[in-house]
Amino acid sequence: MMSFHRVLHDERVWSFALVAPALVTVGLLFIYPLGFSAVSAFSAEEGGWTFANFIKAFDLYSNDILFTVVIVSLSTVLIGFFAIAIGGYLTLGENPYAVAILKWLYRWPLFIPFIVAAQLMRTFLAKNGLMNNLIVGSGLLEPMQTQSFLDWRGIVITFVWKQTPFVALLVAGAMASLDRSMIESARNLGASRIRILVEIILPQVRPTIVVGLILSFVVMMSVLSVPIMINAQTPTMLTVDMAFRINAYGDYGVANALGFISYLMTGVVAWIYLRQGVRQGAAP
Amino acid sequence: MTKLALMRTSVAVGLAIGMAGAVHAQTINVLTAGSQNMVDYVTDYLGPLFEEQNPGVTVRAAGTGPGDAGSQKIFEKLDAQMSAGSDAWDVDVAVVHQKMAGQMREADLLGSYRGDIATGDLVTRATAKMALGVDVDGYVMPMFHSQTAIAYNPDLVPDPPSTYEELKEWVAANPGQFGYNGIKQGMSGVSFVVGWMYAHSGQEDVLSGGPYDPALKDGWGDILAELKSFNENVTFTPGNAGTLDMLNRGEIVMGPVWVDMFYTWQADGRVAPNIKLKLIGPGMPGQPMYYIVPAKAANADLGKKFIELATSPTVQAEGIVKNFNWYPGIDAEHVEDSLEPADFDKLFADVTPDDLASKGKVFPIGPFFDDILESYERHVQN
Repeated sequence: MMSFHRVLHDERVWSFALVAPALVTVGLLFIYPLGFSAVSAFSAEEGGWTFANFIKAFDLYSNDILFTVVIVSLSTVLIGFFAIAIGGYLTLGENPYAVAILKWLYRWPLFIPFIVAAQLMRTFLAKNGLMNNLIVGSGLLEPMQTQSFLDWRGIVITFVWKQTPFVALLVAGAMASLDRSMIESARNLGASRIRILVEIILPQVRPTIVVGLILSFVVMMSVLSVPIMINAQTPTMLTVDMAFRINAYGDYGVANALGFISYLMTGVVAWIYLRQGVRQGAAP
Repeated sequence: MTKLALMRTSVAVGLAIGMAGAVHAQTINVLTAGSQNMVDYVTDYLGPLFEEQNPGVTVRAAGTGPGDAGSQKIFEKLDAQMSAGSDAWDVDVAVVHQKMAGQMREADLLGSYRGDIATGDLVTRATAKMALGVDVDGYVMPMFHSQTAIAYNPDLVPDPPSTYEELKEWVAANPGQFGYNGIKQGMSGVSFVVGWMYAHSGQEDVLSGGPYDPALKDGWGDILAELKSFNENVTFTPGNAGTLDMLNRGEIVMGPVWVDMFYTWQADGRVAPNIKLKLIGPGMPGQPMYYIVPAKAANADLGKKFIELATSPTVQAEGIVKNFNWYPGIDAEHVEDSLEPADFDKLFADVTPDDLASKGKVFPIGPFFDDILESYERHVQN
């Protein structure tokens, strides 16, 4: 009885019991599939270990790998820029109406799924789509001068449109919770708003921005609907190739090799994220 | 009647009612691979019709997604139940693509049923017996036949090319005006590429009939290099629907489409009424969708009955030809009587039965199909 009581009072047992559901979920839904796909990436169809899947992946899809890195990185940079601009205006803007309207407007894309965003952009960005029709209608361009944005630019535009509000939401929150007195004193000393944003606010909310951008990077790496619906060109993104390997060939080996390459890319980003946490000596 | 007899009778009646209730509570599960219109066909038309004719039976229909991916999901579901050693699989009828039907047959996932149903001998086409080189005789019934063709705007192209060779010249003279969706964005583009291979390789017979020769693909470099330079003057479209959208917005004036999708969109007013179809030579592929009954379907008998209804001349005429603009799964002569001449002629207006017979090709056998797609990835997209 005594020992049982001791067990009941032992905090470690309780804390383990509390985290167990989370651990099991992570294990079953993340670690197990991750390990399974990694094993499949290195397995030959006829059994045994092989690099053949990776050789084929690089042979056929090296352009797509590069394309994916460039598109997602470019989108991440643009998302960072716009999120800071929106957060900055919400914090430092002087026209209360403009701030209220922006605050109300900027979150909308958050509630729109990627696939819906992609479908919207398909008709918006087409050569004779809504955007070009507006431009032509306003007399800025002749119909023959218009061009389709349904290529890499369409992917970037959709990603940025969809993910900026998410990062802006985090960044604006962090900016709002800063000590206003520092901003006020800078204003009193005559600093411009841009300077306050860049030299006072940004350094303080940097960790939040980095976290938001890393999460966006990982999300964009995993989106299939946007590249498949918008970009009909070659090269295309890795998710499209993975889907194609499975759907056209039933070939999970190469698909998982491509998945493994994606893990490596997000792994690098995750490493930056962790390093940032360690350097600050606190949980990221 | 003694009291005892009365009791016996009432017990028997009660049992009968109870059993009837049990019979009535049956549910059959129908999975459909393919675009939304095919799922709609089962949920909105065929399912309710079957329920009406079989009171108490519920048809539970679900779509597994467009293209080969949808069939792949059905394959994986059945394969998993077979591997688990289950004796009552929870799919009673499925609609699958041609390529997957062969694969399922080879994996012993299919039950033989065509000989058991009354409509089994209404189809004599080769597609009812062979699916891309695999003998599926008895295991499938074609739901419908589909065909790709080139859609064009006759106001802008009064004299459209009638062969791949003429198309090549036309595209060189009119850069950007022809559009197709590559091979990763849907089957109409895949079909166009397969037609290109048939036209230029001179290997159509072996590609679509076998035997498989892994060395054949080594000779395709030049043909695909030519396709790559052809592609430089092509506008790429995002998907089967994307080609029709771009045609309709006037961004391209020509492109390969599925005939059924084209007519359905035109009937809905989503494609301009003046756009026409042309099946170019030497030919473009089409494919049937198949009804299958899994080898260990829990309600196989109901499943067969469902397919019997689905392949009956009236349903094929009303549902397949009239409402959905597909070519019938059973032989056309059997549906002609159940249709108004105008409905029958509409389907064969641009693409005549002669065109279909001479230029309607089948897709290559599985391994060659994979080789064509992968060679395209290697030589054209890389």
